[in-house]
Amino acid sequence: MSTNEKVSADADADVVCVQLMLGLVLPLPLTLFIAHNLYSINLLSHPSLTLSLISVIQCPIVLLLYGRLRKNRKHCSYLKAAGRGLLGLPIGALVNALGAIALGAPVGTQYFSQTLNWSLMMSLFTIVPAATVFGSSWKDWQRIFAHTKPMGSVDVIICLPAHGAIIGAWFGAWPMPLDWERPWQEWPICVSYGAMAGYLVAMVASFGYVAVRARMQHVKRE
Amino acid sequence: MSSSLTCAKLTILTITGVTIQIIGLSLFVYGFFPVKPALSGVSGAESFRPPTCTPLHNQTDSDLPPHNLKSLYKELSGIAPFDRLVLMVIDGLPAEFVLGKDDKPPPKALMDAMPYTQSLLANGMAIGYHAKAAPPTVTMPRLKAMVSGAIGGFLDVAFNFNTQALLDDNLLGQFLKIGWKMVMFGDETWLKLFPGLFTRHDGVGSFFVKDTVQVDQNVSRHLGDELSRDDWDLMVLHYLGLDHVGHIGGRNSILMAPKLLEMDKVVKMIHTSVIAGQENGQGQTLLVVVSDHGMTYNGNHGGSSFEETDSLALFIGLRNHVSDYALYTLNTVYQVDVAPTLALLFGVPIPKNNVGVLLSGTFGSFTDDQQLKALELNSWQLLRLLQAQLPGLSCENSPCDGFSDDQGCRINKCSGNIENTICCLYLKATMLHSSWRLKDVSSRPYSREDYSGIVAAYYEFLKTASEWLSRRVTDKPVNLLAFGVAAMMLSCLILLSLIFSFYKEVYNMKMQQCFDSKYSMHTWSLVETFVLGVILILVSLPVEASRSLFGLYKGNKKIAFQMCSIFVLIISGRTLRGWHQGGVNWTYLPDISKWLEKAGSNHVKSIQLVSGLLMISLCLFALSLSGSRRKISLAVGFSFLMFGLLVLQHIQKYQDNIFVSSNYNATLLVQIIFAGLGIATIGTFVAYPWLMPICISKICSSHHSFMSGSVPIEIQNEYPLLELKNSLYLIGWAYLFCWCLLQLLLQQPINALPMLLLFVQILASLIYASNGGVHHKQWVEIAALYYLGMAGHFALGNSNTLATIDVAGAFIGMSSYSTLLSGILMFIITYASPSFFLLSIVMYISVDTSYLVIPQKADSEHLLKNMLAFPCLVPLGVNSIILTAYTIVLLLMRNHLFVWSVFSPKYLYVCATTLCVYIGVSFVAATVIYSYLVLALRKRMQGFSSIDTR
Repeated sequence: MSTNEKVSADADADVVCVQLMLGLVLPLPLTLFIAHNLYSINLLSHPSLTLSLISVIQCPIVLLLYGRLRKNRKHCSYLKAAGRGLLGLPIGALVNALGAIALGAPVGTQYFSQTLNWSLMMSLFTIVPAATVFGSSWKDWQRIFAHTKPMGSVDVIICLPAHGAIIGAWFGAWPMPLDWERPWQEWPICVSYGAMAGYLVAMVASFGYVAVRARMQHVKRE
Repeated sequence: MSSSLTCAKLTILTITGVTIQIIGLSLFVYGFFPVKPALSGVSGAESFRPPTCTPLHNQTDSDLPPHNLKSLYKELSGIAPFDRLVLMVIDGLPAEFVLGKDDKPPPKALMDAMPYTQSLLANGMAIGYHAKAAPPTVTMPRLKAMVSGAIGGFLDVAFNFNTQALLDDNLLGQFLKIGWKMVMFGDETWLKLFPGLFTRHDGVGSFFVKDTVQVDQNVSRHLGDELSRDDWDLMVLHYLGLDHVGHIGGRNSILMAPKLLEMDKVVKMIHTSVIAGQENGQGQTLLVVVSDHGMTYNGNHGGSSFEETDSLALFIGLRNHVSDYALYTLNTVYQVDVAPTLALLFGVPIPKNNVGVLLSGTFGSFTDDQQLKALELNSWQLLRLLQAQLPGLSCENSPCDGFSDDQGCRINKCSGNIENTICCLYLKATMLHSSWRLKDVSSRPYSREDYSGIVAAYYEFLKTASEWLSRRVTDKPVNLLAFGVAAMMLSCLILLSLIFSFYKEVYNMKMQQCFDSKYSMHTWSLVETFVLGVILILVSLPVEASRSLFGLYKGNKKIAFQMCSIFVLIISGRTLRGWHQGGVNWTYLPDISKWLEKAGSNHVKSIQLVSGLLMISLCLFALSLSGSRRKISLAVGFSFLMFGLLVLQHIQKYQDNIFVSSNYNATLLVQIIFAGLGIATIGTFVAYPWLMPICISKICSSHHSFMSGSVPIEIQNEYPLLELKNSLYLIGWAYLFCWCLLQLLLQQPINALPMLLLFVQILASLIYASNGGVHHKQWVEIAALYYLGMAGHFALGNSNTLATIDVAGAFIGMSSYSTLLSGILMFIITYASPSFFLLSIVMYISVDTSYLVIPQKADSEHLLKNMLAFPCLVPLGVNSIILTAYTIVLLLMRNHLFVWSVFSPKYLYVCATTLCVYIGVSFVAATVIYSYLVLALRKRMQGFSSIDTR
């Protein structure tokens, strides 16, 4: 991570993106690994605990790394970007929770902590990066989430993982009604797995996109 | 304009596609679902001879007079049979109620409810079995299974409501041959299965489900008289009340314990008056208490869960006293085992297609020789059946007469393919039996081990053979299946390519128009494709919930309306989802309907009334939205309002009261409502296009700004577009209102609010569509309507098992039993939601504006095509995809363990959905075409008359 700090502010955004990707892809599997080996918990046995662990580890990383990509650097300090990202966390969690409930997630007090932790994690995947980078710029939000038209590398690494996480969660919900009688069919275990898988795949895809783009620009410049 | 797709071509291709689909589907269904029997004819005296021998005797046995035949059978079998049989069928009684589950006795309340039966069991005077019934667990196939020993084809369910005479070999036919006199009281299914067989009978209808008292009184009132007479040999009593109690209130209904007590009294009465007195040996009567199937906790049946298949077989009056009856209740037997057991106990040949195995505990009072003989007879019968199924099976080594000793010790282990295994097991058993037979009679009592070895060998053969026979569904004609699947795929391709080419055409047309009039282009949005794709796959899986999210459109002023309607759609969709927990994993989770039912029927009723009122007022509101305040639409609205009030009155007065709901007044009122609604709806459909005013001048169309932009003024003058819109709005409204009221009347009270929510969903989608402007995607909205309908299907408590079909509702308003009418009512109830949404397409066409993008030189054909192509093609196309996919899945899963209990019922549902789509689409097409033709005719005539006056 230390090389990350040294990158000067005026460096090429693509390079930042590439390094940022490494910082974003690695923590997730690492967290699961740590949770399993250190605390001997996993999604199956302690779903909400594991999810909150993921959120706790993921939150500072997302805020710090995406903060580097913030728009309007002149008017917006690093701290402010992180601050609005933090503000976006509960709002995004609320939106995700409502969306999940509208799509059929169980309602009830016994599901409260699972849904809460799951939606916090989803918020970190979807809303928080955009909140950190764009702040309250409605036009950018609309471009990413309503029209799905990312322009440039920064848009891509916000748009693709967010959509990847949502689509992954959706596909993760598929096996839930099947009569396989497996413990992971419970809410929100397989949905979380799906979301994480979708997030990681989309992250890697946007990594590839940024890398290819950077190379092409490099060639062009030469 | 390169219109490659003319209206006629489109129509012909669509009809061709649908026809091919119907042909393919019927071929597949015919080929896939087993059409039973393997052996024809009736067992006779030859069944007492080994199957491997050439028939030595001539076939005149069957011509013998009954009495001689009886003695011949007795002589051949060597078993001293019982004389009289009382077969008491308690419909829907789970064996759990009597015998308990998992080695535990039933709960105290149930034990107390049947004191006499429990005392018989405890004293060892009765033997009870958990007799596992084969799915589908509905009455008629189960009765057939019990009397013929054969597991019927799956499609017997379809004939359950159209009972027909049982022509296969069966117990009652055998009894008739030996001259038995039979009487029957109870479910008239017996009379339909065996017309003219019973000397005395009193059939009660099995379909007035809400009556739990009278059905059983009608049976029991004959008992006293009949039990004192001795001119009958078989008495069948079929009590329906318990099943009705279950249908109304589930297993834990308050009516259950009194009903069980009533049944217990009947058992006591029969036992004390007929059986208990005959200890001295003259005249042996056997009382057999069976149930045709069990019931789920909600009281339904039809599926294959343990609760439903757990039926009872209780033998009272066997002369042996069983000390530890738990021994027999432990091992589960099959329902078909009743048939060979009864046949052997009464000394008649086992029915030819029987796959059952003799129940081991029932022959306790017979001598060892007789027991072995019975097992041998059963083996012979099964071997004959096996030989018919497996032509290569001959078991040549089997001795015909006498015994050849040399093979006796060669057989130890049996393995290999099924033919060898069966042959080997059979030979082993017969060898052991023959050597036993040769032994000295005096030494037999000391060789219990030998004896039990023989019994074990016989049972090994019998169980293997029975299992193989019952598991094996008849060979599927591969050609037929392949042809059916190919036809369905072809029709699917035709329909999809039609949709695609029409889509391209519309798209091109819009492009042209956009180019002309500088409209902003609406590009293909990723969200739309994704959402549609996901919904498509989601619904085609056995997933019970599907939500449709519309793509976020960039509109301008109407976006608020659209957002609101999407919001309403999502909220009501979620509520509907929570109303009935569907799906195997979630059935036991709490949901709103269970919670309300727990709260009491008064709450349910008031909610029903409130939602009925809301539904009616929403309907009237929708009518007032149409804008035409002419007398005729007021009259239509008023007449429907009257029927709405009548329906509310019916709910208020009769529904939910178990005892009066089948009385005369209620039935009459319902019939009046049926007739009135039918007349009003058809009247609106036929008459409204003729009666509605036609505007002549250009002024009246200029009010409607939405038309002026896209439709050339000449076309507006020449074709009755505006009038068509108005008329379709009113007719569509009449369809929806009529459907609402019907469902309010027919559905269970708990489903009234979901129906209201479905109606709200329809209105929301219509508002969404009407604010969409010219450039929204019609096919997406039609597909969304279709899928909302499918989601609503599950929201009304339906599932993929046959058990959730609401049988009770199908007889509301029926004064006499009619298969056709109750079938139609059942279809209306089950497919309430898909049909609702399909009917709403008529109204959708009237509010939708996207098809108004018309080129300058349009003609009637073109207009009709633009209006109807997507509304008809999209449901047909989507349904054809689902149908084809399921057909392939069913074909791939044909050897799966659950093919009959899971996949086949789902496939029946898919077939019924296909039928529903056909009906709905043809309704829509007929309405639009008829209205259009009438209005065009009137417009032209008016044009002529105005020219004349000028």
